[in-house]
Amino acid sequence: MREARMESPGGDVLGGIETADVDEPDQSRDRGDDRGDDRRGGRTTHPRQGLSKPPPVLLKAGTSAAVALCLATALVHVLLVFLHVAPPNPLSRQYSRQVNAWVFPLFEQNWRLFAPDPESVNRQISARTMHTTQDGKVRVSGWFDLSGVDDSAVRHDVFPSHTAQNMLRRAWSSYLETHGGDDRPRSERALMMQKYLTDIAADRITDHGGGTFESVQLRVITVPIAAPAEGPGPGSSAAAPKSVETRYLPWWKVTSHGN
Amino acid sequence: METEQALAPHRGVPRIPDGADAGPPRRVPERIGAFLTVLTERPVSLYAAAVLRIGYGLLYLVFLLREFPHRDEIWGPGSPWTPELARQLFDQTGWASILTLSDSRPYFETCYALALVTSALFLLGWRTRVVSVLFAVVVASFHARAIFMTDGGDNLILLMAIYLTLTACGRRWSLDARRTRRRASAGKGKSNSADSGADDLRHQLAMSRRTLTAVLHNCGMFVIAAQVCFLYGSAGLYKVQGGSWGNGTALHYVLNLDLFRPWPELSLLADEHDVLIAVACYLTVLVQVAFPFVLFGRLKYPVLTVLLGMHLGIAVLMGLPLFSGAMIIADAAFLPDRFYRALGQRLRPVGRWAPVGEAEATARGGAALVPPQPTQSSQ
Repeated sequence: MREARMESPGGDVLGGIETADVDEPDQSRDRGDDRGDDRRGGRTTHPRQGLSKPPPVLLKAGTSAAVALCLATALVHVLLVFLHVAPPNPLSRQYSRQVNAWVFPLFEQNWRLFAPDPESVNRQISARTMHTTQDGKVRVSGWFDLSGVDDSAVRHDVFPSHTAQNMLRRAWSSYLETHGGDDRPRSERALMMQKYLTDIAADRITDHGGGTFESVQLRVITVPIAAPAEGPGPGSSAAAPKSVETRYLPWWKVTSHGN
Repeated sequence: METEQALAPHRGVPRIPDGADAGPPRRVPERIGAFLTVLTERPVSLYAAAVLRIGYGLLYLVFLLREFPHRDEIWGPGSPWTPELARQLFDQTGWASILTLSDSRPYFETCYALALVTSALFLLGWRTRVVSVLFAVVVASFHARAIFMTDGGDNLILLMAIYLTLTACGRRWSLDARRTRRRASAGKGKSNSADSGADDLRHQLAMSRRTLTAVLHNCGMFVIAAQVCFLYGSAGLYKVQGGSWGNGTALHYVLNLDLFRPWPELSLLADEHDVLIAVACYLTVLVQVAFPFVLFGRLKYPVLTVLLGMHLGIAVLMGLPLFSGAMIIADAAFLPDRFYRALGQRLRPVGRWAPVGEAEATARGGAALVPPQPTQSSQ
């Protein structure tokens, strides 16, 4: 406040001159005790031409209403975002409909950055393809390391691309969220994530000269990060797998790749 | 500053210092009155708003250019997250994007070019109010189109882009400010021509507009500040719930994530110092939780410095310059305007009031000088 005051010594009388003679309930409440000063300010100076008339009441009321609306919206927005960001609590449960209606989709946010615990595993996601030749023979390719493409893209890059850091990583975590332990899609969203993963795998294999194929299979190897030499293990030890886990996903049909 | 001086002819006399300011014990109504005066008449932190504009405009421009080779894969019709999937998701979530209006490649390239131009114009502060809305539309569209490729940095940029449309972020360090300055020095006293009724009304409409602009700006800056506080507060409080932050090993795991280890040698080197790691863990949580509470005192400067260091570390060690950049710019919003004014004077000792003939050179110099400011300013 003090800074702003220093910054513009001439900023205030504009309200004073015009409004000094208007007796609106709004006005007297808003201006409070500044009014006397403003009035004095208006009289001691020479009001320029065109400034002497008070503003139309309608304009004044409209402006005040807009000001009040701005303030109220800002406060309500901040409150709703708070309830969205905070852990579930009685208040946010009670108003979850209003909170969601306001916050989604534009103001959605999640600041659990490496929290409550950072991931304690690395995932190596590979894919292989199946191709049925015209004489009916089925050929299955070797495993192609999809994560390896990301890792080598990130290595020694000052500004790694989102395609390397986020694409496969988030596709897989969203798949896990929507599917859980087995691979039966139970929702439309789950099907979409399956399609997305298929597309990513097919695109990458095609880009690296994978030839013709009709379906792909994914394999996810979860490698736990070793605890520090002498230190304790990761915080939520229950969630962190102790050994390497390998998960094979079902074969998925690919729509238009390599044809 | 310049803008206010330029507007001075419309404004009446200098403020007479009111008695309320002098006496130390102020009553509550006085305080409320003073608060409303500031709220409705004085846009606060105009320099900080400009820093946010320049920072996020530049950051998004750099991001778009960095992803130029991958643009089709991320936002284009050739993305594995196909336009069809994106539209299907929009139906579920209520999102929208200009990018899914057509699946043609030329349309996408046009949108991409438009995004580049918009970011650049936003950064320069050209017709800022309109361009800021365009920028928000662009950021929201690109964000929504590739929602499964975004991270915290993208999320913050989106929120800030939306909030910045409310602020008067083009009043300082912008092409708009330069234009206003020139117009003021070129045509003085144009306004006091006639005292007709129409002129009167126009004047009052302008006053209303000024009030609304100020209120909107102040509300916008308040929301931005609250948003950053929520960000740090929740990031910190969620960490407190995690055991690995408590026992000081969290960063060990972070340093060993393959995707966030662009310099494995460096990460390994840092990982060897387990005491240092533990100290950094505690400091991270402490600073994040403390952030909302230190903002109103001098303690905010050391905290902002620590955060700056933390984000620089994240940018380099984890290969997350976009995220870190977004956070650093957000932090810079909390530095006072006198800091930025001093900075501006140091960076541009001459040429501010250069005659119009030299203005071209000044502008170019200004444009070259402006971009690095967000980073420097937070030091």
